[in-house]
Amino acid sequence: MSAIPVAVQPVPMGRSVRIGLIAGAVSVYLCAVGIVGGFEGRNVVTGVVRLGRAMLILVAVAAGYALARPRRDESGQLIRTPLGSAVAGGATAGAVTGAALGALLLFIDNVEQGVFVALGRGLAELLSLGQSAPVGALLLVIGTAALGAIGGGLALLPATLRRPLLVGVAAVIGMSLAEPLLSPIFSELNLESGWLFESGGLAVTGAVVVFLVAAGISYLRAREGTAVRDRLARLPTAGLTSLRIVGVLVVLAILAVLPLLVGGFVSLVLTFVGLYVLLGLGLNIVVGYAGLLDLGYVAFFAVGAYTTAVLTSTESFLVTDEATRFAEAGAMGFWLALPIVVVVAVIIGLLIGAPVLRLRGDYLAIVTLGFGEIVRTLVLSDWLSPWLGGAQGVIQIPPVPPEAADFRDPQRLYYLILFFSLVAAYISYRLADSRVGRAWAAMREDEPVAEAMGVSVIKYKLLAFAMGAAIGCLGGAFFATLLGSIFPASFSLQVSINVLAVLVLGGMGSIPGVLVGSFVLVGLPELLREFREFRLLIFGAVLVAIMILKPEGLLPNVRRRRELHVEELEEEQYERRVGDEETGAPVLKASPNPEPPS
Amino acid sequence: MSPLLETQNLSKSFGGLAAVDEVDFHADAGEIVSVIGPNGAGKTTLFNIVTGFYEHERGRITFDGHNIAGMKPNQITKLGIARTFQAVRLFPNMTVLENVMVGRHARTRSGITGAILRLPWTVKEERTTRERAQEILGFFGRGLRRREEDMAGELAYADRRRLEIARAMATEPKLLLLDEPTAGMNKREKDEIIELVGRLRRELGYTVVLIEHDMPVVKGVSDRVVALDFGRKIAEGTYEDVSRNERVIEAYLGKEHEETA
Repeated sequence: MSAIPVAVQPVPMGRSVRIGLIAGAVSVYLCAVGIVGGFEGRNVVTGVVRLGRAMLILVAVAAGYALARPRRDESGQLIRTPLGSAVAGGATAGAVTGAALGALLLFIDNVEQGVFVALGRGLAELLSLGQSAPVGALLLVIGTAALGAIGGGLALLPATLRRPLLVGVAAVIGMSLAEPLLSPIFSELNLESGWLFESGGLAVTGAVVVFLVAAGISYLRAREGTAVRDRLARLPTAGLTSLRIVGVLVVLAILAVLPLLVGGFVSLVLTFVGLYVLLGLGLNIVVGYAGLLDLGYVAFFAVGAYTTAVLTSTESFLVTDEATRFAEAGAMGFWLALPIVVVVAVIIGLLIGAPVLRLRGDYLAIVTLGFGEIVRTLVLSDWLSPWLGGAQGVIQIPPVPPEAADFRDPQRLYYLILFFSLVAAYISYRLADSRVGRAWAAMREDEPVAEAMGVSVIKYKLLAFAMGAAIGCLGGAFFATLLGSIFPASFSLQVSINVLAVLVLGGMGSIPGVLVGSFVLVGLPELLREFREFRLLIFGAVLVAIMILKPEGLLPNVRRRRELHVEELEEEQYERRVGDEETGAPVLKASPNPEPPS
Repeated sequence: MSPLLETQNLSKSFGGLAAVDEVDFHADAGEIVSVIGPNGAGKTTLFNIVTGFYEHERGRITFDGHNIAGMKPNQITKLGIARTFQAVRLFPNMTVLENVMVGRHARTRSGITGAILRLPWTVKEERTTRERAQEILGFFGRGLRRREEDMAGELAYADRRRLEIARAMATEPKLLLLDEPTAGMNKREKDEIIELVGRLRRELGYTVVLIEHDMPVVKGVSDRVVALDFGRKIAEGTYEDVSRNERVIEAYLGKEHEETA
């Protein structure tokens, strides 16, 4: 293709003000809901900046940055911004942002606390830098204008410098947030971490080191990246496979030693992540592979938990003999119960699958949603309470393995869950690339045509539900033994939604995606304590952002990526088609790119 | 010898409108039959009934000695009928090769146990499935083989039509139903399809029934032509006979003459 003509034009004033207003609104919002005040308790670089103020700084810089990046006009013409305008525009946008914050400051100073609890003395102090309100407001405007100008200038830096800078800053923030996870590891390994971490954030030296290392790596990657990618592309398939195996082994090694290093609490969090990995892998077969949108997946989770509970609890109706009760054992041990749990779940899976065989898409989703609720209502009901305990649930479920004495050792359970997750992942991986997996994929793509190719839709839908149930019930079984008692409230619609969100976040049909999705959705909010209060708010925002920027999920499988980035592919395809004229394939669709290549 | 496919008094209506009305149709083994008729004549409905997509209301359908009326599409495919669709219906987000491999479903047996444990015979079956699929793609020259790892949805139009035929071939049919295989193609590609249909019979022993609008193609491939109009069979015979039949000219060619005149 010929070089794209680029125009250089200054940013119009209106645009600067508009972006400044957006950034101002974001800043004021962050203050008003209490995020800024709440996060100020967390150090980023100890003694220099705390998280609340860091967020406001980032917003102001981002405003200038967004303003000065190359933009497109209505005709798609690319427009660059000259340096002077970038700095001036950035300063304007920053000043508008600051003005919004300044107005907020004056408002807090003059009006007594009202609806917004977060708008109080603490926030006023944070914003005014300890000065009186009018002076503080002025300082805010000047400060944010400078930040905006920096953002504007940053946007014009050549990519080789800009990337490392941004990566370095991101690394500093990321490392400081990971402090509660990393500090215990350092002390466990008897490593000196005083230079790196200090009172819950990075020490100054640590921040400098982290910044330099991250920026350096980014710089080198940008310089060597293309060469590495070329070399990867030239690797033979066998080489790629062994590379992938090495990658999997590294991840496994990390997963294996992690709970030894991070201590009890984080281990417990990881165990919960593991539960969601199991649930996610199960649902991935139903939704990701077979395309059956199941919103009642919690049913299998509940079946697994309740079957385990009833079979192993010492308080279960199955235990009638007083002697056994004293022996602190249920009707049977966990390992004996587990196969029965799986069989029961598969039967329930088939029972739920059978009536919905004829339904597709939205209808299937609604009906399965109902099934999930029915299961919850059943375990809550008085009718079944002699066996399932009703609202009292089932208690006295012994831990696994019972020799682990009184305390429920999360690290032990972690390894069990890890083992079963690996088995489930292996099964998923094998199935995806088999006759069964292809039949599922065909069914997902076009059900009637799949049937015309000889796929028995009934058989493969039931098979998908059964497999999903068999894997998901394991999550329930471990959940029951982990907590020792289960109650109907744990099996709400929210579980179904969370598991589906894990899939969407990680990427439908992607096994590594399930791992990443579970960690981000279940693990992170537990580890970032300050965030917990706002977790739903933040997750809402993150989910929206991911769906806009990466609709195929964080670690997509190839198919979904292609499906959702049609435009880019069409362009690519157009170029390829023009490239091999000799095949004489007719260009039927109007190409998205009107310019003929020279 | 009884015909490979035979329908007697086959009828199907949609909301009181007879889409297929008392149609007696047959195709002998090794024959190439074209079904012609104006839009809405019931050609595709006939295909849909024969392949089990629609349930018929009255009449008999026998294929290769089996009564296939009321069977599910996958069972009919297993007996040996394969089809393509008027508007190409591939699995767009599966690779070209995978599309064809799905076609092997009816002729393979591996289940989940084999796939999970990689039992030796499953591995072997998977390998033969792949090889057979590649062989079938090779039937169409180098074009499709070269793109076997690309997504089917990325193919150019003519290749999509070819791939759909390849997928149908993978089911090892005795009878192949092609629904307007040359729609949207240029002259050269149409000639290719004519040649392909001939090869399918010659090299693979298929019986082929095709719905076709393009008269030169019909003339080029057919042993026998069946004309439908308003769900009824109005003529049957060689291309020359049918094209001279007055009812056909009135229903089909005649209208076209008027339109172009």
